[in-house]
Order: sequence, then C-alpha cells, then structure tokens
Amino acid sequence: MIAEAVRAKSPRQIDDGVIRNLGLVGVLIILVIIGIVTRPELYSDPTWVRNNVLTILQQASAIGVVTVGMTFVIIGGGIDLSVGAIIALSGVWATTLATQSYGAAGMIFTALVVGLAVGVVNGVLISYGKLVPFIATLAMLVSARGLAAQISGKQTQVSANATINDIASTKLIGIPLLVWILAAVVAAGWVLLNRTTFGRRTVAVGGNPEAARLAGINVKRHTLMLYALSGICCGIAAIMLTSQATSAQAAMANLYELDAIAAAIIGGTLLSGGRGTIVGALFGVLVFSTITNLFAINNLSTEVQNMVKGGIIVAAVLIQQFRYRSLTQLLKR
Amino acid sequence: MSALSRRRVLFGGAAVSAGALLTACTSNDPGTDAQVKTNSSGDANAAPGTKVVIGFSAPAADHGWIAAITNNAKAQAGAYTDVELKTVEAGADAAAQRAALATLIAQKPTVLVMLPHDGKELNATGLEAMRAGIPVVNLDRAFPSQAAYRLQIKGDNFGMGLAAGDYIGAQLKAKGVSNPIIGEIPGIDSLELTQERTQGFNTALAAYGFKVANRRPAEFTADSGQASATALLQALPKMDALWNHDDDQGIGVLAAIKQANRSEFFMVGGAGSKAAIDAISADNSVLKATVTYSPSMASSAISLARLIGQGKGLNDLVELQVPKQITLASETITKENAAKYAKLGF
Amino acid sequence: MSDPSASAGTATGGDPVLRLTDVVKTFPGVRALDGVQLEVRAGEVHCLLGQNGAGKSTLIKVLAGVHHADSGEISWLGEPFAPVTPQAAMRAGIATIYQELDLVDDLSVAENAFLGHEQSRFGFTRRRSSAASTRQILARLGHPEIPPRRLVKNLPAAGKQIVSMARALSHDARLIVMDEPSAVLAHDEVANLFRIIRELTAQGIAVIYISHRLAEIREIGDRVTVLKDGRTTAANLPARSTPTRELVGRMTGRSMEYVFPPRRPAPEAEPVLVVEGLTRHGEFADATLAVAPGEIVGIAGLVGSGRSELLETIFGARRADSGTVTMDGRRITGVGAAVARGIGMAPEERKSQALLLDEPVYKNMTLASFSGFAHGGFTDTRDERAAALRTADQLELRPRDVDRPARTLSGGNQQKVVVGRWLLGGTKLLLLDEPTRGVDVGARAELYQVIRGLADDGVAVLLVSSEVPEVLGLADRVLVMREGRLVHEAPAEELDEDTVLDLVMAGSLLEGEPA
Repeated sequence: MIAEAVRAKSPRQIDDGVIRNLGLVGVLIILVIIGIVTRPELYSDPTWVRNNVLTILQQASAIGVVTVGMTFVIIGGGIDLSVGAIIALSGVWATTLATQSYGAAGMIFTALVVGLAVGVVNGVLISYGKLVPFIATLAMLVSARGLAAQISGKQTQVSANATINDIASTKLIGIPLLVWILAAVVAAGWVLLNRTTFGRRTVAVGGNPEAARLAGINVKRHTLMLYALSGICCGIAAIMLTSQATSAQAAMANLYELDAIAAAIIGGTLLSGGRGTIVGALFGVLVFSTITNLFAINNLSTEVQNMVKGGIIVAAVLIQQFRYRSLTQLLKR
Repeated sequence: MSALSRRRVLFGGAAVSAGALLTACTSNDPGTDAQVKTNSSGDANAAPGTKVVIGFSAPAADHGWIAAITNNAKAQAGAYTDVELKTVEAGADAAAQRAALATLIAQKPTVLVMLPHDGKELNATGLEAMRAGIPVVNLDRAFPSQAAYRLQIKGDNFGMGLAAGDYIGAQLKAKGVSNPIIGEIPGIDSLELTQERTQGFNTALAAYGFKVANRRPAEFTADSGQASATALLQALPKMDALWNHDDDQGIGVLAAIKQANRSEFFMVGGAGSKAAIDAISADNSVLKATVTYSPSMASSAISLARLIGQGKGLNDLVELQVPKQITLASETITKENAAKYAKLGF
Repeated sequence: MSDPSASAGTATGGDPVLRLTDVVKTFPGVRALDGVQLEVRAGEVHCLLGQNGAGKSTLIKVLAGVHHADSGEISWLGEPFAPVTPQAAMRAGIATIYQELDLVDDLSVAENAFLGHEQSRFGFTRRRSSAASTRQILARLGHPEIPPRRLVKNLPAAGKQIVSMARALSHDARLIVMDEPSAVLAHDEVANLFRIIRELTAQGIAVIYISHRLAEIREIGDRVTVLKDGRTTAANLPARSTPTRELVGRMTGRSMEYVFPPRRPAPEAEPVLVVEGLTRHGEFADATLAVAPGEIVGIAGLVGSGRSELLETIFGARRADSGTVTMDGRRITGVGAAVARGIGMAPEERKSQALLLDEPVYKNMTLASFSGFAHGGFTDTRDERAAALRTADQLELRPRDVDRPARTLSGGNQQKVVVGRWLLGGTKLLLLDEPTRGVDVGARAELYQVIRGLADDGVAVLLVSSEVPEVLGLADRVLVMREGRLVHEAPAEELDEDTVLDLVMAGSLLEGEPA
C-alpha cells in the first residue's frame, strides 16, 4: 500500500515546473517564427540555420554558466551582484603576463581559484559578517572591478595562449566546446539541485531559513557554499569569455549580474528564495540570446532590444504570479 | 531581504557598472615607446632658445589613451633641453583639476598645456590663466570661449568616420563591387563621439552611393566586441567590408571573425593601436587598415607650447606665430604606410 | 452557561455609545469570534477579560477596522457601524492603542500625533499649527512637558503611550481602546495612566481597557465583559464587586471538554534532559528542570513569561548567558549538537519557523533527516517518501498524500508534519511550543493522542502551553513559569486549573480579591 502511494506521484508536483518551462519554450518558438517571417531568405539556408542555432547557444554559454550559479544563490535566499566583477577579476588575473607564463592549465587554475576565493569572501561577509547580500555583493562588485583595473593597469590584456584561445573555436561532434561546457554545467547544476542533499539544503535555507536552522541545518555554512559555487561558475565563465575575446580587461562581462538575475527570474526562480529551476534559468538565458540574435538579423537598434528584454521580464513575472495565485486557489477548493 | 529592495539592485547595479564601462577604451601596450618628435638639426626651431616652463595637467589615467597622453607629453618635454615640464595630477573630476591648476598658475609657468576633464567646466580656469599672461594650450576638449586659450589642438571624430568610409568606398569601387554589404561596429552608442564617427562614416559612404547594411554597437571592450561581431556575422552571411570604431574592442571583433571562420571581407579599425598597426603590416588577417585618433597630439602640444613660449612660429608657415587652432587629420594606416606609423601606435 | 444579559447595576450612567450583538469572525480553521456581545457607555471604563486566544485581539481589530465581522451587528452612536479601514474607524471616533505602540520612531511627537491626517495646506505640512495643536492635546493629557518637536524614539515607553493617546485625541476620539496598556509601564507610571484615563472619562470619552492584571481592573474599571473561546460568557459585571472566583470561572469555564489520553505510571528512569541554572538576561533566569524518557513535562505560563525563550535556549537556538543543558550527559551548545543528540523541536510559529510551505509534505517531514536517507550526497526521494508515508500513517495525517504542498494542510495536520519530522529523525526528546495553537478543537484530541503515544514509546516530551487545561490534561508533571522564573512544580494530578491560573497570574489575581 505504501509502495503504491510512493509510485503514484502526485501530478501537481510535475505540472508546476514543466508548465513554466513549456511557456518559455513557447516564447522561444515565437521568437524563431518571427525570425523566419522577417528574414525568410536566411532561414531558407539549412547551413545558416544550423550555424545560427549553434551561435545562439555559444553566445549563451558564458552567461548561462553564470546563471546556474546565480540560480543557486537566489534559491538559497540571496543575490550575487558581483558576478560580472568576479569574471573580470578572474579573467584579468588569469591573463597577466606572469600567469600566462604557466600555460593554459595555470590560467584556468588561476581563474577558478580567484572566482572561488571571491565567492568565499562574499559568503563569509554575508554568513558570518551578517551583511545583507545586496550590500556585500554590491561592495564586491565595485572593489573586484577596482582590483581588476589595478592589476591590468586598465589595459586590455591579450591572451597569447593558443590553447586558451582555441577553446572558443574548438568543436566536438560539430558542436562548439563552449556549448558542451554549458551543457555540462547545466546538467551538473540540475543534479546538484534536484538529486543531492546540497540541493535540498539550498531549497530549505532559501524557503525558510529559520525552519532550516531549527531542523539542524548549518544555514551559515551552506550560504557560504552557495556564494562559493557562484564564484566558481564565474571563474569558468571567465575562461570561456577570455577565450572568446582572446583577451581580458577590467570592464569585461559588463552588467552580467543583471542578465543572470533576469534569466533566473524569467526561468521561474523566486527572488525571495526557496523556489527555482535550473532548466528554467537555461531557457531564460536562451530567450535573451535569441532576442539578441533576432534583433541583429533584422538590424534593429539595441535600445529597442533592451526595451523588449525589459518587457519580457515583467511579462514572465506577471504570468508566474497569476499562475501561482490561480494554482493555490485551485488547491484550496 | 525584501523583494522590493532586491529589485533596486537592477538599477543600482546598472549605475555602478556604467562607471566601470569606460575604463579601457583603447589598449596601451606597456612596452610601447612614447611618441616623440626629434627635430632635425637643420631646423632653426630646434636650436635651444630661451628657457620655457610648461605647466601640464591631464586627468588621472582612467584608460590607456589618457595614459598615453601624459606619457607623450613627458617624453616630448624631455627631448628639449630648454623645456621644464611641471605636471600636476588633475584628480578625479573637474573640481579637483581646477584646484590643481590654481596652484600651477600661481607658479607662473611660461605656457600652460591642459587636457580638461570637461571643456565647459574649466573654461573659467583657462580665462584666468590667459588674463594672468600665461598662454593656454587646450588638448582635445574645447573651451567654449575663444579667449580662454591661445592654441587648441584636437582629434577629429567625424573625420575618423569620413576616413574609414573613404577607404572602404575606394577599395570597393576599385574591386568593382556595385552593391556592397557593409557592416559597422561602433563603441558605446550613446556617446557623442560615437555618433560623430558614425555620421562621418555614413557621409563618406553616401558619396559612393553605399550604405551600412547592419550596425551592432559594442562597449569598447573586447568581450562586447566579440559578442557584437558574432551577431553581425550571423546577420550578414556574406559581407564586403566592416568598420570597427575602436581597435581595443577590435581584439574581440577579430577573435569572433576567426571563430566564425570568415574571411570574405576586409575590415577597417579605429584609433590606431600598436596591435592593430602590427596586424595591418603583417597582413595575415581581415584587418587591412585603421583610421587614427592619436594621443600623439600631446607631443605636438608640448612642441607648440615651447614655440609659443619662445615667441616663434612654425617654420613652414608664413605667419610669425603658431596658429590658434589645429585639428589633426584622421590618418588612414594601411599596409603600405604601416611602417611609418609603427612608432605612433599606442 | 453564558448569560450576556446578566447586567448588574453600573457606577456610571452614560448612554450606550457602542453595542455589539452576536458578532462572528472566522479565519480559515478558526472561529475567532463566535457570538460576541458588548455594550460600552459614554464616560465609562469597560474592561475586557479573557485568556489568551479568547478573542480579545480579534475583537479589537474588528472595532479598529482591521478585520471585518462576518455577521452580527455593531452599532456606534446609534448608527450601524462597519469600518472598512483603520482610517475609517479613526474618522468615526474610535481610536486604538495597541500593545506594540504603532508609532514611527523617527518622526516627531507632533508628526506622530497627526500621522495620516496631517494638517497641511497645498501639500505642505503646517508644522507650526500642528505643534500648537499637539501642545494643547498634551496639556489636556496632563503632559505639557513633552516637546511636540522631539523625536518619538527619544521618549521613554510611558511617553510613547502618551503620544499614542494624543493621536487618539487628535482624531476627537469618543472611544479609546487600550490593549494591555500597563504591560510596558513601571508602577508609578501606571498611576499616571489611570489619572489620564479618569480625566478622559470625565470628558465623556469611553474607554475599553484590556488587561490580565485583575488589580488594575478593580482600580480603574467600571464594568467587565468576559470572553471565552470567542464568546461573551459574562457581560457588564461590576468591576469592583464581582468576586475573583466568579471572574476566573467565567474565563476558564469550558464550553467543551477536551479528551485527554490516559496517563500510564511513568517508569522510573534517569532523566535524559537536565537543565541547570539556565539564564538569559531579560528573558528568564535560573531555570532548572529535568525530563525522563516516557515522561511529558508541561510548562504553564503566559505569553512573555519567558517560556518560549527557555525552550529555544534548551534547543540551542539561543545562546544562554549562564547555566547548562545536557542531553544524555552531553552538553548542548547549538542546534546542530541538539539535533545530533536526538532533540527535536516544534516551534510556536509553525509557518514561519518550521515549514517549507511550498514544498511537499514528505520533504518537510525529512527536513531534519534527509541526509540520513542519502547515499553519498545523493538524496533518495523514494526512501524518503516511503518513510514519510509510514510516519503519516502513524500520525493519521489527512489527506494521506505526502506530495501535497504543506501549505494546503490544516493547522493540525501541519503540526503532525512537524512532529513527524522528529519521529523520522529518531528523536529522544521532543520540545513542543504551543502545539495546538491554530489547531481546531476536533484535531486537538488527535494531537494529544499522538503526543501521549510518543511518550509511551519512550520519548521524553517538554511542552509549553498558555492553555492551562492542556498542560494539566496532557502532562505528567507541571512547571509554572511566571516573569522568567519557574515558580512551582508538581505532578499534574495534584493541581487544578484555578490553582495554576492563580500561580500563572500571581500578584494580580489574588491581590485583586475584593475587600
């Protein structure tokens, strides 16, 4: 009897997340249809279409990796405004002449360690220093970019390392390596959130920190780990971006924090914590990347593009609120 | 944290990040020599004359181009035995620069050279120095009042666009392309200098009957250049020519072109960085030319300030004094003349 | 048993200004007001008496326009009255002074007094005339010494209360409701408060006065209305002459008897939990107690007596200033250690302190134990759901669906989820803070069965409740807590409700015996 009940999983649970993601898939399809209607001559070439899909994925890869980390932080009840700055610091540190002398492995190692270290500092300030995440990471945004500018002397540091530079142009089975990296991070993020004790703690800490604490979960240590995770994601993204631009500088990854937060939110992550999905966040990133692509192929100005992005964020959140309300009302009946 | 206060992040973060945007408009290779003009011995103006004390002020180096300005001024002054350069850091804003200049003026230099934070805000300081009998040389950012300076020397944003458009138009015409597809990657689109460059570009292309097919602004950074170029290349599966406004973001633009495996077009850069000039002379990429907006103007400013201080004119001009206004031509660097410009790259 | 018409002769003979007839207010799962009768006359001090949860707060909020009555009649100055917003109630002349004074600390006395109806011209506040009006009102309250421009945060508690009253008078209030106004005051300040109340009533203003302290009711009150379980059990009793026994009887008289499971003789066992001299300054002092396996120990005490704080400190969620907590001979220093040693806690505020409302029941049940189900860091939701379902059956959770979000459960079933969380964790000591708060009457009996069943299985239970019958009926041994101290300890069989109430409210009830 128990086994039966265990097997018969309640439909409610599945619906919520799947419907949300279906909505975003719908938006993606609409965007593609608009592309086909407005530029039929481009979409009539299968090679171009294949290339375009890979381009959209590739341009979404670095910000996608950052968004996975950001999603964890937001589900855990925090926010990380410093992701763009961490990327800049990691990228700049990894491309100093001294670091470059250690080769590709040294550069990758440096980027990851710098990202992790900055994330740990964020986490310590927030968990143990009891700073509001907004303040702590805002301060980190300013100071990490400052340190990056200091290290680079405000100059663009060109990567002379062929291995690093080739990451962006390498393909495996016809698919860019950057897209594989994104896929790996998303898959790992999904497993981590949905299948591990770490993910369970994240939801608990963000959903009701007091309940988590009284259930014996070490909320402070877990919060620290979430920011460290976000930092590592930034380190990975720094390598990806450095490879794409074959250089790094203090102003790189400008406003990535906003894109990552926006993508997480339209992917269904609750800004107050406790609820969110990795797949939704990925779709959020892809929607933005596809909009950029759509505006580019139609030669529309980036100002209009930003307005549309803003509109989509508002619409997504409104729809979620509406659906959430109607869902709870349904359950009450 | 409440949802409301988190939402404010979106705006607060934007404001802070915008400040970080301008940090690196152009690259500056650390190893590059400063741009110095050594006069030939036959030149009458080269002979040491009366001693000239030149006061110099430029904003603290917030990006490579400004750093090059200060370096050039110092190096050029060092090339003269009869010039003493007194530099003051201009600090972080116009007010700080005003204060710094006040102390400099009190020391009564023979000539004052300055790159103001903002021409309008330092207009009064220029007037004050002129009234005190100190000729003022204004670098790049104009004073509204004619009476506030003795000499103004500046670059030409509209001219940059014009030069780039001319080069592209002439090249395409020579190749016999009748209906070319031309791409453009400007820098930060909301800046006046970007708009002037684009206007110049469109004006020159119009003379050939050409126009820009697609325009994707970047942010003067390599990673934004890569992103914009990738989008542009995807939008234009076949392209004939591309103008990228800024050689620094051009690092990313060139990376994107290489990653997309494209080579059917040629590209023109902007500003004239050393890396770009090297690439042009090596002729192993799509980058075939770049149009200058050179910090060498600081070197020239010191030379001219010395002449003003000594009451001398330019040798090749009939007039006995240095002119009042000099706008540098935006020069087009190609493989043919790259060697000549190599030392001017910054 | 209730006899609303039992109206005795009154000291004051003003006309009735406020009359409530059969007022009902329900919240999901709770019938907070279940037929309230109340009559207040001009110029009288009408006292409201009742235990925690009797409906006093809800009644105040209905009058203040915060809640809206579901049915029944309210007439104010002879007209039907149904304030839609607090502002509407204020405008109608009913002002409320809450226990937590709702003043804005960073505004001045005058700004607070006229908050919400600022004197202004063309959108600019008229500071000079506000200050003058405020000065007048303060003089009327006998406190001309309070400067109208002083920031409220710089005033003592008594001063703040004066400002609250000034705000009421700035609205020309004809009725002022005071919710335990003496709770924040020192002894001599209470005397001053009474002087002000007398001056107000002399001006024909009616006052509804709520307090636990019977002595105060005797001193300032004219008539008393008693509430119990949302009903008026006695109306218009004379405040000075009604015997204490009668008042207490009306407060505690059961409209419904709870069924408590039978006790078993507790096995003689060494205590698992030993608390010695535990102190947190300003909350509780020198608490010493012990709980043995299979034993239910109940702590009776009012809100604010320090009982919840004591429980949380035992659990390690608050840091003790001095004293020790040991479980099985091991010191407990924090929540992590407490959980590891087998202590579980069901906190007072279930929704904000215990539950992940949007998460399914089974994840809420395994919140303290999911790591134990996991293999190498990977959660095993299948095992978790099976175990949760077994526990749900044991606790008779309804509906029997562990995938349903916790939000959709009733209060009693939510409490079962929290208790189930600790059962799954193999807890040896369960700390229960107000386990039946927000649980409807029918479900309470079930919870009592569950708790007794746990004890029978050898779990030690330490329980806190402000419902004296609950403590007496459920616990084997009772500790009485008053003003931060454990003042009495006895087996439950040796105590009755009145005795415990006397102990809980000592210093008020007994002193308040009419001469």
